[in-house]
Amino acid sequence: MLVEHARNLAGIRDASHAEYGGGGTPVITALACSLQGREIIVELAAGSRLAAMYGAERVIERTTCDYGLAPDAQHLAGEFGLRVAAIDDTKEVRAVERLDHPFFMGTLYQPQLRSAPGQPHPVFVGLLKAAHALR
Amino acid sequence: MRVPTVAVLMDLPPDHPYHRATLAALDHAASGSPVRSVVVPTDSIGGRTARSLGEAVVVGPGSPYVDADAVLEVIASAREQGVPLVGT
Repeated sequence: MLVEHARNLAGIRDASHAEYGGGGTPVITALACSLQGREIIVELAAGSRLAAMYGAERVIERTTCDYGLAPDAQHLAGEFGLRVAAIDDTKEVRAVERLDHPFFMGTLYQPQLRSAPGQPHPVFVGLLKAAHALR
Repeated sequence: MRVPTVAVLMDLPPDHPYHRATLAALDHAASGSPVRSVVVPTDSIGGRTARSLGEAVVVGPGSPYVDADAVLEVIASAREQGVPLVGT
């Protein structure tokens, strides 16, 4: 999602993801410290759609991420219609959302790993609500 | 009433815990308002846009994807076509 944003909206035509190797301008790079299999504290941005869906200011989420937005590309998360919806306790961007779209969200954690019967995850509830509205 | 389709772009095999968790999360969230979840391996996207894949898209876990360019095209079309999308 962030690579698409960088290439098509921010004009970084060779924006790349380090996981794929090769050249280009890496906007997604390996984290200094892998978050694979960790739980992280997610600070939700006040006024974001994500915060409204959670009805909370900070939550615990599980992640399998070894990659994140490159340190010198963090500004992309707040440009060209995208905004930061959450950061972690190291201030790294952990979620983004579009302002001009019914539901367009990216999380650098895995909400599905915290979902359970009778306790659906707010991100998936929000997605399906938007899908029903589009039908 | 037509049930909305959610396309899940994912290359992980069906027995992978994150594959199962992603489909389970959609099931949990669909309680009372059913959806049809369809896993789309990235090498079978075949130039389809987000809207032609369904009423919503989940860009699933398990990168690197087999066809990352096709995934980027779906993300771009979801953005342009107003199709709900979450990337995890």
